[in-house]
Amino acid sequence: MSEIFSFATLRRLVDQWITEGRHVAGPRLVNDRLLYGWLESAGQLTLDGEARPRNSIKEFLFPRHEKLYGYKLGRKRVELTEVAPLVDEQIVIAARPCDAALGPILDHVFNWDYADATYNRRRELTTLVTLACQSYDAQCFCTSVGSGPDDPRGSDVMLYALDEGILEIRCLTEKGRRLFAGQTEPSDLEAQVGAGPEIRFDLDKVGEFLEGGFEDAQWPEMARRCLGCGACAYTCPTCHCFDIVDEGAGGQGVRARNWDACQFGMFTLHAAGHNPRSQQAQRQRQRIYHKFRVYPQKFGTLLCTGCGNCTRNCPVGLGVRPVLSAISRSSTK
Amino acid sequence: MNANIYQPDLMEVVQVRQQTADVKSVRIRFRDEERARAFSFRVGQFGIFSAFGAGESPFNLCSSSNWQDFIEFCFRRTGRVTEALWNIDEGDIVGFRGPYGNAYPMDKWRGKNLIFIGGGIAMPPIRCAIWYALENRDQYGQITIVYGARKVGDLVFQNELDRWAEYDNVRVVTCVDPGGESPDWKGEIGFVPTVVQQADISAENAVALVIGPPIMIQFTLPVLSKIGLGDSDIYTSLENRMKCGVGKCGRCNCGPAYVCKEGPVFTLEQIKKLPKDF
Repeated sequence: MSEIFSFATLRRLVDQWITEGRHVAGPRLVNDRLLYGWLESAGQLTLDGEARPRNSIKEFLFPRHEKLYGYKLGRKRVELTEVAPLVDEQIVIAARPCDAALGPILDHVFNWDYADATYNRRRELTTLVTLACQSYDAQCFCTSVGSGPDDPRGSDVMLYALDEGILEIRCLTEKGRRLFAGQTEPSDLEAQVGAGPEIRFDLDKVGEFLEGGFEDAQWPEMARRCLGCGACAYTCPTCHCFDIVDEGAGGQGVRARNWDACQFGMFTLHAAGHNPRSQQAQRQRQRIYHKFRVYPQKFGTLLCTGCGNCTRNCPVGLGVRPVLSAISRSSTK
Repeated sequence: MNANIYQPDLMEVVQVRQQTADVKSVRIRFRDEERARAFSFRVGQFGIFSAFGAGESPFNLCSSSNWQDFIEFCFRRTGRVTEALWNIDEGDIVGFRGPYGNAYPMDKWRGKNLIFIGGGIAMPPIRCAIWYALENRDQYGQITIVYGARKVGDLVFQNELDRWAEYDNVRVVTCVDPGGESPDWKGEIGFVPTVVQQADISAENAVALVIGPPIMIQFTLPVLSKIGLGDSDIYTSLENRMKCGVGKCGRCNCGPAYVCKEGPVFTLEQIKKLPKDF
């Protein structure tokens, strides 16, 4: 037995949630390109077309610009003002599994020792409704990093598209059950899930290479065409590096955190001029090491979901999959 | 816990002292008495200091952890935040969060002879340990301090160098690069590694703390190995760029080690196991 409901019901629910004042985000077309964004109405929700949006749901949990607190300067005095805490519920609808997984992955770094209250608050207030994948493109590689087209990791609800506007629904958490209570009906239809994209590289071989490959001559070669634009990091579900800056004028402003990227030359530049990663090859290497060695060693999970956005958005065809494929091939020697 | 880990305490500037042409040290104290009483740190730890409107930067807490009335930091005027800090006066307000990172293992060093080697602006992070050791004088053996700078005017905490030399069993060796001496300079002339080599320092029952520019550290470490110090007896403090200080912003890592969390203090033994990413 399964539970099903119609796409029409989903659209009605989305409109209802929006009317109730909840923030609903999902894939929508922006200038003919599929991107996750806040929905103004259910009509914008786009469930077909490209394999996945070009951005990630990261920005709903970890916004690209976030005020940490405000400051007001006076003569010999400073007043700090708190930013009003987030109170509205958020629903992300039709996230892909490779997006939904970011929560359980990033929970580690945002909570080891010091708990990041705003991140945790957003996590609590967000319900993730994930749409299992039926199509893939040449950049998808979830199956190469131990995931797959209906991996439920991080999701509150899994949706599976059946024929003729019907969706199978599996509510995985209490949050998810609350959202869809009374809206579904029992059925004997069950979704068939494909095997997902073909395996693109051997993760074990990658691990072996990284163990001793920090100084490997391949890094400069692989990074040669990197422009250092940071598109990989900005569209990655799990890249979480940030900068903290003061933004203001006239004696008042906010201290904010903004997304940053390890591909930028200034990222590690010391005040005295020394830069541990002065070359692009070192920065490319850092991105791969952070995702496939440092983070797993520290937190027991890869910092990659196999979404392929790094390559999909790369102007020169770099990103995790091509680099790890090359590494995987080279270590079969 | 709902506390905002990025929000600093407001601190009142109680003293600003110009150390060199471009270095100042600043003493600050908590505005909130309760916070002041609850606060403690260990020498070697660092803080993130704010000049509101300009931003924040990490600096070592260069005061001794025994000092109750204030904490102190020291900076070189070199960028946006330090330019703003350069212009603060007594009574102004700055921000502080911390203490962060690990510390010098002052307990483990008990009973040992201590060798402190610093270059230029790296004296402040050593100074806190020197004062701590002097304030617990009976717990530590011979103390040798080698401090060098490019020129005489670049030596920070110059007045304290003389005070340290007055303690029993403390030897202070100062040096400046050739050409950096003044007519009345009484210290050594030469680079720190050479001066260390010629200073006839005993490695017996000793640990060394070496902090300075990468080039100084690179050439001083072999000298210390040569006189017989083991890799686990040589300590340094890495100074990678940081933003958050609490292991989140993702830029200070040196391979698997987040300098803000597992560091900034590392032994040479630990550093040799890290990838060359600093």
